[in-house]
Amino acid sequence: MNDVILHAHPTFGVLGILASVWVFVEALNASEANRSRVRVAAFVVTACMLIAWALGGYGYTVLYAPEKAIILAGPWPWAHNFVMETKARLFFIPLILALYLPIAATANIARSRGARIVVMAAAALIVLNGLAIEGAGAVVDYAVSAGFVHNGITGAQ
Amino acid sequence: MSAVPPVDAGAETNDALKGPPAGFGLAAVIAILFNTALAWAENVDEPLNAYMASLSGDPWRTHGFAAVAVFIVLGYFFTSRGFRIDGSRLGALLVAASIVAGGGLALWLVLI
Repeated sequence: MNDVILHAHPTFGVLGILASVWVFVEALNASEANRSRVRVAAFVVTACMLIAWALGGYGYTVLYAPEKAIILAGPWPWAHNFVMETKARLFFIPLILALYLPIAATANIARSRGARIVVMAAAALIVLNGLAIEGAGAVVDYAVSAGFVHNGITGAQ
Repeated sequence: MSAVPPVDAGAETNDALKGPPAGFGLAAVIAILFNTALAWAENVDEPLNAYMASLSGDPWRTHGFAAVAVFIVLGYFFTSRGFRIDGSRLGALLVAASIVAGGGLALWLVLI
């Protein structure tokens, strides 16, 4: 079950990124015809990020301690001290933007240039932050593997 | 004859945002910066870190709840005060806040 949680966390993060791209493209082509689609897409972003937060939070606060010890004992201790610690707090930036996105999308982006700019900016920032966080997660994951090899631990997978 | 073209009635001239998109937009800018400031504070102030841990069992959980609470409370506050802002300005503030907050987080964790 824990493996499912650990893999579902980045999966929902990726789905949130993809939904943010969807919002960006809809906003780029904003019209009266796609107003409801933008709002639906914005809510999908929020839902995915909230689920990613809940799953990642459980992983970080409950499951991560043994992996942290392996990373710190391995050749890449900075993968925890810098990458994981930055990733864990950086996540709150796209989370806040994801909570804001459906609120921003309540404005008529087909008629308001200002609303369209804000929706596109928030969506783009979620994508960029999300990709950085996904990359950071991959570094942390690799650091755990490197730690196992470094310490001669086999069969952990 | 004027050299200035006539204003197109259908052109997008409405850049101003009001209501929740404006109020919660400014709240998002502040919450993003608050997130980084709180990360700095909990790294240098061990009693604060311990207090945050005592509230939810882990300082990271409290950190997240605090950032979201700042966003929601300030969002309602600015909206109730009738805050207005140009959308292009708010978009620029969101981008600037994200760059400053993200860069500040990374730089801080490199330095400590």
